[in-house]
Amino acid sequence: MRAILSPVLLALSGAVSVTAGVHEVWWNLSYAYDVSPDGLGVSRRAIGVNGTWPPPPISVSVNDTLVVHATNYLDHPSSLHHHGMFFNKTAWYDGAVGVTQCGIPYGQTFTYEIDIPRSGQWGTYWVHAHSSGQYADGLRAPLVIHHPNETHADKYDDEYIVVLGDWYHTEHDILLKHFISIANPGGAEPVPNAPLMYFAHGDTYLPPIASAAPTMSPSTSHVGFNENATLPFEPGKTYRLRIVNTGAFAAMYFWIDGHEMRVIEVDGTDVEPYPVERLSTTVAQRYSILVTARNDTNSNWAIHANMDYLMFDKVPKGLNPNATASITYSSSNSLADLSPVPMEFYQQTDDRIFVPSIVQPQLPPPDKVIDLEAVFNTMDDGTNHALFNSKTFNMPKVPTLFTQTQYAAQNISEMAFGELAFTLDHLSVVDIVVKNGDVGKHPFHIHGHKFQIVNRSDNYTSDDPTINPPLKEGQANPIRRDTIQVTPMQSATLRFVADNPGAWLFHCHIDWHFSSGLAAVLVEATPQLTGVSVPQFVRDQCAVLKLPTQGNAAGNQDPSNLKGLPEGPFLQILGWRPKGIGAMFGCVLTAALGMATVTWYAISGHKLTDEQLEEEVRRVRAAKKSWKSVVASKFKAS
Amino acid sequence: MPNVFSVPIFFIVFREALETAIIISVLLGVVEQIANTRLGGDSPPVTESEKEKQNTESGVLEAPPSLPSNDGDDASSDEDKRKKLLRKLRIQIFVGSGVGLLVALAIGAAFVAVWFTKASDLWKKSEQLWEGTFALVASTLIFVVGITMLKMDKAKVKWRVKLQEAFDGKNVDNRTKAGKWALVILPLVTILREGMEGVIFVGGVSLGQPATSIPLPAIVGIICGLTVGYIIYAFASRTTLTIFLAVMTNLILLIGSGLFSKSIGNFQAYKYNKLLGIDVEDAIGNGPGSYDVRGNVWHLDCCNPERRIDGQGWLIFAAIFGWSNNGSLGTILGYVFYWIAVMVTLFVLKRRGALFTLEGTGGS
Repeated sequence: MRAILSPVLLALSGAVSVTAGVHEVWWNLSYAYDVSPDGLGVSRRAIGVNGTWPPPPISVSVNDTLVVHATNYLDHPSSLHHHGMFFNKTAWYDGAVGVTQCGIPYGQTFTYEIDIPRSGQWGTYWVHAHSSGQYADGLRAPLVIHHPNETHADKYDDEYIVVLGDWYHTEHDILLKHFISIANPGGAEPVPNAPLMYFAHGDTYLPPIASAAPTMSPSTSHVGFNENATLPFEPGKTYRLRIVNTGAFAAMYFWIDGHEMRVIEVDGTDVEPYPVERLSTTVAQRYSILVTARNDTNSNWAIHANMDYLMFDKVPKGLNPNATASITYSSSNSLADLSPVPMEFYQQTDDRIFVPSIVQPQLPPPDKVIDLEAVFNTMDDGTNHALFNSKTFNMPKVPTLFTQTQYAAQNISEMAFGELAFTLDHLSVVDIVVKNGDVGKHPFHIHGHKFQIVNRSDNYTSDDPTINPPLKEGQANPIRRDTIQVTPMQSATLRFVADNPGAWLFHCHIDWHFSSGLAAVLVEATPQLTGVSVPQFVRDQCAVLKLPTQGNAAGNQDPSNLKGLPEGPFLQILGWRPKGIGAMFGCVLTAALGMATVTWYAISGHKLTDEQLEEEVRRVRAAKKSWKSVVASKFKAS
Repeated sequence: MPNVFSVPIFFIVFREALETAIIISVLLGVVEQIANTRLGGDSPPVTESEKEKQNTESGVLEAPPSLPSNDGDDASSDEDKRKKLLRKLRIQIFVGSGVGLLVALAIGAAFVAVWFTKASDLWKKSEQLWEGTFALVASTLIFVVGITMLKMDKAKVKWRVKLQEAFDGKNVDNRTKAGKWALVILPLVTILREGMEGVIFVGGVSLGQPATSIPLPAIVGIICGLTVGYIIYAFASRTTLTIFLAVMTNLILLIGSGLFSKSIGNFQAYKYNKLLGIDVEDAIGNGPGSYDVRGNVWHLDCCNPERRIDGQGWLIFAAIFGWSNNGSLGTILGYVFYWIAVMVTLFVLKRRGALFTLEGTGGS
């Protein structure tokens, strides 16, 4: 374990520091072997940190700048994205490969500086790779920022991190090849092999329960997963549980038997305590809940995190979508598990019921509205892709941020940033109206911002105002978060101020969907980047990877020249196209010629008179006879 | 409609019935000739004078007094005897024909019954593969049927010659055993032969089609074939027959080329479904994802003849012209090459002048 805390300031959980400092960690991004957290007996290689998996949780004070020295020892370029953080004026630390950096080449170090004091963010976040599907392969960990005067600090005695996730037995690259393949035109996503639930306290994971099966794989034996994971509760105390869904695909339903849950935080936004029966958390969403321990301690209680298996095209035989951990009052107690629950129990949590503690009235009406309709389809290359507004997203040749800084002083058009790039004026109010025209649920995530959820429609095509309500202005204090669940036919209106110059992805956080193009890029306040340049080491890493750092999205110096822009695949064009018409004409022509030949043959044969015909018949028969007699005589002779 | 009436089966049965009708009509003509000559006194053998006697367009034989006769009865009773003999001979022909038809139908029905009760489970699983194979077999059979049908207008002459050769130099009366049975056995064997040919063709074409699609087109085909055959025998000229046959051949080859193209489409669909690893039921549909984009030339999001709900009209279009809402390089080239094969075959036949060398014009 080489991740160490900065000696300048030891930011232990609960510790209070008023002095600004630096919290430094050194992360070697590397494979951990023999990883088998789900106890299903399938070991695999996972991407971890410093040779271990899972990567360590990060716990930091709001007064500290987090500095992560990420050295890549993987065979693919990598990156780290500190999910939910703003990176104001330092957008190149966002970690989005293709948009803000090229990826860390093998053996090189990228030092991410997360200036928490300046962004003024606290709460529950997480860090994960934003390069290919490396986070599905395991490169993900919770990131908790503590505020000395946190809103609800007086309401709990201790806190734990509840890490949820989904787990694949096969590596992402292989799964992705199957997913985006001509053999999968319907776009059935790879289904996780197991759900995961494990706990952390501060910057360490909780070990497995004492009675854990000894067959667990050695490389993950220091952490308790699922039924081997437990939270030690003391009667009468109240705990804050920070729930992070770090999965690649599956949303989770979370609840605790025998205990009440009160939500106090949504994606880093403190909210007024709100009791809930269960929480639905999509991948990348976070919630903090207050749970008060029971006074009776004669039983331990089950904690449930059940994958939303309705998201799977087919539930594979033998899949247990439910992770069940426990709250332990005494190790000698038996476990009270009230599952299964009826199907009706699985309800989406409506995040608009939560009221932020720090009031921020609805932003003024938008200066720009971006409509994004998400659908999936089989494309002209036979593979399935995701589409926003009938276009699938491709990463530009030059990271968008580089293009922005290069042309900041010129007023270049939106086109120069490629397809599905939207330019935003500095400090303008923006509405993203994201519509889900697909049959699956999608968690949409915005980089560099939190949005206000100012409207939601259950069917954006409906004329019924109760189902498809008009946008209301002047709401007192709408919820703010960075990842939103949009169910089929739903739409959501997401409002934010373009106060963060840089290039920010807006994408579906399901890794398969992001990989297949369900993304757009917000090109924000480009002129305000005049004089700003991406640090040299970021550019140098592009050079190592032989990727361009100059030019527009197509890599051309003339910003209006889009030749070579990464595009496609495209929607299929059905019906009669020129080649189809040509082929059909060819078929008809050949058939006509054939029939003409038939007619010619019949008529020319008819020209013979009956007499000629008869003669011909006799001739042929005679020939046959003589042929037969010749054969017969030869046969006899032999 | 597709479940009760198979278009290819109709055409195949029609063709066989037509040929049978022509043969029977020739036989009837020959019989008349025999009856006449037997009572017409000594004459030179027909083989020498036949040509001169062919003077009617319809080809119905006159009654040339040319067959050898060893009887020399009185003229007063000649007419009576002639009629009696003719009636007897005609009855023999119809008895032979009827028995032949019955046996052929029985064998055909048994064949189809066995096929559909015992063997039909075979192709439930990989329907596309079987359908493709069956369509391939059917299209090949139809190729042969179509080409040989073109020469059916010569069948009459051919059969006449054959029959005359059979009777040539023989004494034909009710005491001659050969003569007595010839007129029963010949139509019996002929019809049986045509019938079996029909059964094999129908069997080949009906593979992969529901059993219910066979009886109706078979019955309608027999009726139409016999009717047309009779009309041609009774009224029409050889010219009419030629035109009629050319039209029929074109129709049947249109069906054949469509089936050939469809068989390739089935094989490709089988391969695609296998790649997808899905069940057949899942694969039915239109639009993106329902077909392989590789080598696709056209795809319409409609007009799918395979769809049970709205494909009815397109199914008929598909059965006759080989229509598909999905055209691939394979299916299109298959269609084109089928017709090229037809043209090449006909050119070669023409060059060789081999009017009668192909089987199927009534056998050797």
